[in-house]
Amino acid sequence: MHILINPGDDLPIYRQIMRQVMDAIAGGRLTAGERLASHRELSEQLVIAPLTVKKAYDELETLGYIESQRGRGTFVSAHLPKVSRAVRDSQLLDSARALLSQAYLAGLRYADVLKALAEANHDLTDEPARTRRKES
Amino acid sequence: MPTTPLLEFRDIARSFRRGEPVLSGVSFSLGREEVVALLGRNGSGKTTLIQIAMGMLFPHAGTVRVFGMSPTDEPVAVKRRIGYVAEQQILPSRATIPDLMAFHRYLFPTWDVALERSLLSRFGLSGNSSRMSHLSKGQARQVALICAVAHRPELLILDEPAGGLDPAARREFLETSVQLLNREGTAILFSSHHMSDVERLGGRVVLLDEGRVRIDDDLDALRESYCIAVIPRYAAHAITTIEQLPECLKVHQQYTDWHAVFRGTPQSIQALLHDTFGLNNVQCATVPLEELFIELVGGERTAEAL
Repeated sequence: MHILINPGDDLPIYRQIMRQVMDAIAGGRLTAGERLASHRELSEQLVIAPLTVKKAYDELETLGYIESQRGRGTFVSAHLPKVSRAVRDSQLLDSARALLSQAYLAGLRYADVLKALAEANHDLTDEPARTRRKES
Repeated sequence: MPTTPLLEFRDIARSFRRGEPVLSGVSFSLGREEVVALLGRNGSGKTTLIQIAMGMLFPHAGTVRVFGMSPTDEPVAVKRRIGYVAEQQILPSRATIPDLMAFHRYLFPTWDVALERSLLSRFGLSGNSSRMSHLSKGQARQVALICAVAHRPELLILDEPAGGLDPAARREFLETSVQLLNREGTAILFSSHHMSDVERLGGRVVLLDEGRVRIDDDLDALRESYCIAVIPRYAAHAITTIEQLPECLKVHQQYTDWHAVFRGTPQSIQALLHDTFGLNNVQCATVPLEELFIELVGGERTAEAL
């Protein structure tokens, strides 16, 4: 996977890496068991301190998204962290409410939000939005 | 863990004119494999401090220890294990690149010819036998960097390594530093005005302001646990009290409002301002390093200035 970082961004670099790895796992571009670039590879590729990569990986590991295996490397977890159904549903509903409220305040309509969701889904999964919609 | 720090400044003071201290009471240290970015405005004492570490200047008060030694008492033992690129590196103008490499090979018992060759080739300088006076500014800095790192120092001190370089040359400089961090675990102290380079090299930030250490904290902490609060003008009566809060680092006027720099997350500071002064919905936000720098060491802005 390709990680792009921007030093002037709102998020510190380690958080940018975390977010992109999580997005790639969520979107299926990184699959369970897949190997991630080593600390050294990613640090030299992105021209950032090795400790910054370590910090991002350590946090992702604490969250349960990746696992490091001594001497072998870092891999996407075989099982994503389990969250109870009730917690998941309520979190999703909260995010949906916040999204809609923001959109309505900006004068957008429900249809605009759906369109934006499809587009975001496309970015996340790298799949064309239209075919996905037909399938479902 | 009582290991000796690689570099330690303790209560350093120095002035060049009586009564006008450039540094006063500067203390911080740097451990193995650590990266510290030394920030501050022009004239804040960064180069003076670096020259004190290199044994090029005596401090008027305080002590400096490099690998546990005094750089002025044991200059050779210290310099063998240290790499240094000065802000205004003066390379002998009539010397050629091969001359300079041969000289350094002779000076440093630990000189690594393979590393020298690989860096020369990365910088496109292999086979180049120009005199120093014929090199571009960027090339001269690259030569200076090779001279500073090919003996595999434990500590690398870079005084504004990016000064006057184009973005591509700056990136090459950074790439070399990152590879040293990865492969040698070299500790680095560098001064810079390029916040994006500071973010890339990471580690700790020491901010000098008016000769003192204003901030000494992790880069990520600066990005996430420091914030700017915009205090509206109707709360101006609380400013002097706000200034005295232990979390508050600086308050200054920004046109008609006040900006306050706090140590703390935006949520905690918002709560603090609400609980202590009854101020509601004060805008608090974390900011990029560049903004934090300007908020901390930049001047005031009043409406009259326009």
